[in-house]
Amino acid sequence: MGMWLFLFTEILLFGGLFIVYMVYRSLNPEAFLMASFELNVWMGTTNTVVLLVSSMTIAMSITAIQKGNRKLSIQLMVLTLVAAVIFMVVKYFEWSAKIEHGLFPGQAVYDNLPPGESLFFFLYFFMTGLHVFHIIIGSVVIGFAIHRTAKGRTTKEKYTLTENAGLLWHLVDLIWIYLFPLFYLIH
Amino acid sequence: MALGGFNLDLFVSPVLPHSLKHLNIMSNQKDLKTEGKKAPEVHISSYKDHFNTLLALLLLTFITVAISVFGANLRSLSVFTALLIATVKVIVVAYYFMHLKYDKKLYTWLLIIVVILFVSFTVLTSIEYLNR
Repeated sequence: MGMWLFLFTEILLFGGLFIVYMVYRSLNPEAFLMASFELNVWMGTTNTVVLLVSSMTIAMSITAIQKGNRKLSIQLMVLTLVAAVIFMVVKYFEWSAKIEHGLFPGQAVYDNLPPGESLFFFLYFFMTGLHVFHIIIGSVVIGFAIHRTAKGRTTKEKYTLTENAGLLWHLVDLIWIYLFPLFYLIH
Repeated sequence: MALGGFNLDLFVSPVLPHSLKHLNIMSNQKDLKTEGKKAPEVHISSYKDHFNTLLALLLLTFITVAISVFGANLRSLSVFTALLIATVKVIVVAYYFMHLKYDKKLYTWLLIIVVILFVSFTVLTSIEYLNR
């Protein structure tokens, strides 16, 4: 229950940001359109697939612990962490390409962009950055869940931490499901 | 409050032996009952179910990307369809991966309330901006 309440606050946090995005987009439709072509759709798609697969592995890991299979549960959580690392590596290449082009807020190219486009990149870095921050927190929680399961403190009867780690991870996935089309796909 | 609890304890204590016995039997019966109930209550989704859910999500992703990359001339359609498909994906994740389907209905209702709250913010904001 507590976990769900926390998730609701997260939904409203990102929800607020989505409204900001929507308002600025409606004020600068052409600039947002031009700027969105700068993003690499294939990198975005790869990360979407990676996150969806990781959502499945963490869900399966809960199935495994419910069936009393601790080893499989741990393996599936480790796979989820591998996916998290892949996601962040792709993100790293994506961001560094943008930064090389000088598109990070404060850089020369960014400062000379038309106002609407700089807003797009500001929101892009802010929202995907906040999302990556959630990926890191989620990974840490999954790490704890792995540790507890390995120690035998998470069992078939008592697996709340694994369950909550899963819920948090799915939320991270849910946010990306909206971020991806909004930034990469709407042309 | 602590004082009230203390008083209450004192008041009950004279009949403790009898009531305790009664309580023990009661709680034993209760334990048995809940244990009998608990096993079927927790739904375990199968690995196959999770895999099928993933397939559905991947298919929806593919459709969104395809519309965006190959159907760029459907510009006005694409915003709406992209958000619609994203919403379908979110519902699938929440319903199956997040176990809302098998959890207490309370969680689903709370989520619906949060979504209604968010949608009303969005609608109110866009009405304001569309009328400028």
